Amino acid sequence: MRKLLAVLAGKLLTVAGKMAGKKSSSGPGEFAVRLCPQLLGELPKHVKRGIIVTCGTNGKTTTNNLICSALEAKGYKVLCNRLGANLLNGIVTSMIQEMDLLGRFSVDYACLEIDEENAEPVFDYIKPDVMVVTNLFRDQLDRYGEIDIATDRLKRAITKVGELKLVLNADDPLCVQFGREKGVTPFYYGVSEKVLPQLDDIKDGRFCPICGAEQEYNYYHYSQLGDYCCPSCGFKRPNIDFEVKNVRLSPAIEFTVNGKPMKISQKGFYNIYNFVAAYSVMNVIGESADDFSSLLKAYKTPIGRTQEFKFNKPVILNLSKNPAGFNQVIATMNADERKKDIIVAINDKRNDGRDVSWLWDVDFDKVRNSRLNMLITTGMRMWDISLRFKYEDINVDMITPSMSKAVKTCLKSDSDVCYVLVNYTALYPTEAVLTSLLKNGGGWD
Amino acid sequence: MNKLKILHLYPDLLNLYGDRGNIVCLVKRLEWRGMEAEVVKYTRNNTEPPNLSDADIVFIGGGSDRDQKIACRSLLKCKRELKNYVEDGGVTVAVCGGYQLLGKYYRLGDETIEGLDILDIYTERGENRLVGNVVLKSDIVPGKIVGFENHGGRTYIGSHTPLGKVIYGFGNDDSSGYEGVAYKNVIATYLHGPLLPKNPLLCDYVLTNAIKRKDPNFSCLPPLDDAMESAANKYIADRFKYKWRT
Repeated sequence: MRKLLAVLAGKLLTVAGKMAGKKSSSGPGEFAVRLCPQLLGELPKHVKRGIIVTCGTNGKTTTNNLICSALEAKGYKVLCNRLGANLLNGIVTSMIQEMDLLGRFSVDYACLEIDEENAEPVFDYIKPDVMVVTNLFRDQLDRYGEIDIATDRLKRAITKVGELKLVLNADDPLCVQFGREKGVTPFYYGVSEKVLPQLDDIKDGRFCPICGAEQEYNYYHYSQLGDYCCPSCGFKRPNIDFEVKNVRLSPAIEFTVNGKPMKISQKGFYNIYNFVAAYSVMNVIGESADDFSSLLKAYKTPIGRTQEFKFNKPVILNLSKNPAGFNQVIATMNADERKKDIIVAINDKRNDGRDVSWLWDVDFDKVRNSRLNMLITTGMRMWDISLRFKYEDINVDMITPSMSKAVKTCLKSDSDVCYVLVNYTALYPTEAVLTSLLKNGGGWD
Repeated sequence: MNKLKILHLYPDLLNLYGDRGNIVCLVKRLEWRGMEAEVVKYTRNNTEPPNLSDADIVFIGGGSDRDQKIACRSLLKCKRELKNYVEDGGVTVAVCGGYQLLGKYYRLGDETIEGLDILDIYTERGENRLVGNVVLKSDIVPGKIVGFENHGGRTYIGSHTPLGKVIYGFGNDDSSGYEGVAYKNVIATYLHGPLLPKNPLLCDYVLTNAIKRKDPNFSCLPPLDDAMESAANKYIADRFKYKWRT
């Protein structure tokens, strides 16, 4: 009875939220869980074929949405927390949205992205069949703690499940260590050749996760990702089940997976990982993915993942919320040779992490190579991000609390493209500003 | 004046919270005044002990418990040299884990990590982590010192002079109302990461001490345009104004 009440309340809140124009990605779930804490435990009963969970610091939303799109293209019904609401309440919200008023629903698969911190509590209710771990980077230290703490937490979550197929990024030694846990069957994906220039960025995970010695690398992709080997205990990049080779980054990204050619329209080296992770999952669950590219025809880039808005010039919105992610977005931007304006928005609300000291771990000096026309800073911490540029001797042209003003300024400048880099809580307001400017005739007053 | 030599101890291990921002700040604020700095990184690949004889500023940042243990074990080998450097007025900035390891010990439950015993302080792990923005009032510089703290340890500073009085945040041990230690030319604090960029006067205080030690006739650094730094500082100081402890 309590369960039904919780579902009903959740549904009402979702409808009310929609009427009020909210995205309601976790609020209804939060309320429903308060009425019935066991509600999440209902989920497995309604999933016929399997539960797939995606974890890791970066790439969760894209990977999870890719898996979901591929499965839907094959005709399956899929439950997916598509909005990136990856906490327990967000998962319950997506479930409630699937349910009818009596709490009934039935899907073939559930594709869930789960925040590193929440995997352990969520696995009290849900035992996934397959779990992807994309990568582990330093991220929001005030919320998640040091990388060692995040790693231990994920280990506990994994061992809690018992039997589990793990799909792991072989290029990240921190992910690979999970393949050694009891009850786990690991599958590895990775990029088996040197593609990018070798950078001196932050490489937290370069020490051996088993014995602590500094690992030797044949090459790096970025951060601690690459081809590594521990000279002390012999831990090394494992044999690869889904192997990426023959990578070309421009004009469009092309590569092969186990010899099969693939082409993606998304930009950024890191998107190769997202695609091969999703491809690996399809194979691991026994769904043929030979026609992977055509399966993804209906796939739409999630909000703020190199999302393009077509004004008089393209405005590209990109979520960048930790050093590894930011460095990758800067690298992607630098590969774009057009003359560009860059807007950076930094907030420090709870979901961003209250601590903005990570801005100093981002290699912002590289922005200099980006054919920069104008640089604008905004967000609650606009002064902090401006200072970061100042101490790289990069001039900030405008500091404004108004995203709308920032975008309008760029639309009038003589650049060819505008990149908007935002952290988490700045994402949805920025998307709203861009959408409304687009509706009102391209931001011209 | 010859260039200032900044010795960065274990940037490979103790670099958790944007600590390199402090180094960048020290270097740039010299460069913008037409002076020069040389940064020497002392990492765990160095087999010889760090050379303190020609160091003008020593910087130690924070790391995970694991990395901090490795760094501390190795620094114990040159404990006496470091102590002599500090006693001789050597300029030192120690942040977070670096602050803890200047003390006598850090007790984590059953385990005790021996410190460098440079400051007469000790640290014990508390139940919860103390996390959040911090605003201090300090005798060293006018205005407010602002920053962010994130530490499990409670540091007890005995009769040492604190860096400042906490007007917002937790501070050394969440109860004394004080933060950090200022001893001779040492600044030790839990305010991690980019402490100096947002507190330019503190950065200049450190630089001035280092230059004076080299050149006793030196009077003061020419001022810089710190409008942006002040705005960043003011944003945090004012944001929590309604909660200030007086």
